[in-house]
Amino acid sequence: MDRHFDEELQNVKKNLLEMASLVEESITKSLEALEKKDLRKAAEISEIDHRIDKFEIAIEEQCIELIARHQPVGADLRFLVGVIKINNDLERMGDHAVNIADCVSFLIEQKHIKSVTNIWSMVRVVIEMLRNSVESFMNNDAERAQKVCERDSVVDGMRDETMRILLTYMLEHPQMIGAAIPFLLVAKNLERIADLSTNICEDVIYIAQARVIKHHAEEQK
Amino acid sequence: MIVRTANLNLYYHQFQALINVNLAIKENVITGIIGPSGCGKSTLLRVFNRMNDLIDGVRITGSVVIDDEDIYSPVFDLTALRKRVGMVFQRPNAFPLSVFDNVAYGPRVWGISDKKTLTEIVERSLAAVDLFNDLKDYLQRSALSLSAEKQQRLCIARLLAVEPEILLMDEPCSALDPIATGKIEELMIMLKQKYTIVIVTHNMQQAARIADDVGFMLLGELIEFDKAKKIFTDPADERTFGYISGRFG
Repeated sequence: MDRHFDEELQNVKKNLLEMASLVEESITKSLEALEKKDLRKAAEISEIDHRIDKFEIAIEEQCIELIARHQPVGADLRFLVGVIKINNDLERMGDHAVNIADCVSFLIEQKHIKSVTNIWSMVRVVIEMLRNSVESFMNNDAERAQKVCERDSVVDGMRDETMRILLTYMLEHPQMIGAAIPFLLVAKNLERIADLSTNICEDVIYIAQARVIKHHAEEQK
Repeated sequence: MIVRTANLNLYYHQFQALINVNLAIKENVITGIIGPSGCGKSTLLRVFNRMNDLIDGVRITGSVVIDDEDIYSPVFDLTALRKRVGMVFQRPNAFPLSVFDNVAYGPRVWGISDKKTLTEIVERSLAAVDLFNDLKDYLQRSALSLSAEKQQRLCIARLLAVEPEILLMDEPCSALDPIATGKIEELMIMLKQKYTIVIVTHNMQQAARIADDVGFMLLGELIEFDKAKKIFTDPADERTFGYISGRFG
């Protein structure tokens, strides 16, 4: 029979996964709204973000209460500390979805420049990183988490490439600067979402294996 | 390393209470021994001052070395060992004497009778456990009139009066409330600068708070011995995790 504490830990995990699924919904919807210049869809993002914020507070309170009342150790302690950090990362991802949705209103009056950016391939990689980070947490899968971390540099490269393409495009078509700037912002937000997915995976590796890989900590030992 | 055991086995008649224990206790650190009731942790503690010798039917194999001397060697001076290795018990065991006479008891046994010298030892020992200021005007009062926490401090002062090197503590806070426990823990952290401390405790949080090294025992075996940080964040053995997380034991 599971102890009450184990049930509480499972409950924390369930809540974090629900929050993660809301975050994914928020990011994909914001990108759909961007692609289709759909203001109504963009407006839904702030409502989802409100729910994400509520989850963040509830999960943080749950973790603090469990630490205070059960003084967890070992894998249980690592799990709760990891959840507190992942919780924070997910909430910030939700904020980036809001930022992306905010760009939609700037694009409404602009001409379409989809063909000159590789932002949509960046979107695919970032969404894949987000899903894999959440699944690695769900399955306590450090190996999968490690692979996500390795993808971060790919997204950094795509962000740099997008910047270069858009800057060149703006130099060649100054009248399109207004249409290009929102995409610069979107690229920056996507890159931050990839960073946060990487953070989540670093915490998954800590939870699963007690290894600290961030900031190349293991190499410096 | 100040204390080292090698292939240590201990039997009570036919029952084997310690099984092949290999352990190295470092100088000036607090070593915590944890484990469920009956796992052998108190037996292990009593090995270090040979208190098990007083129990009928006890047999020991393997070696226990303190500073390169095998304490189970037939030529080893047992009285000197008891002076070097002091012990604090679960319940304060102050003698029904005055505060002064409690602390002066050991030095008197060791032949010190000069009043001035004894007074110096008593004052120094009480100061070391942070009792002198409280008790300096009540040194002739009965030790049994003190609170449980102060009696436990007094017992530690009584040990320090004979200048030991190692302090063995067997559940020293189990009879104390949380405030008194906190004070004794602070005292232990202070004392480790001069003494090597080995503490047996049921209280996992206490081991986590004060121990530098922690050993987990189960059914007479030392399952895991490591830095407290490692034991409490990433124990190597599933059984250690099971115990410290309260999943068994």
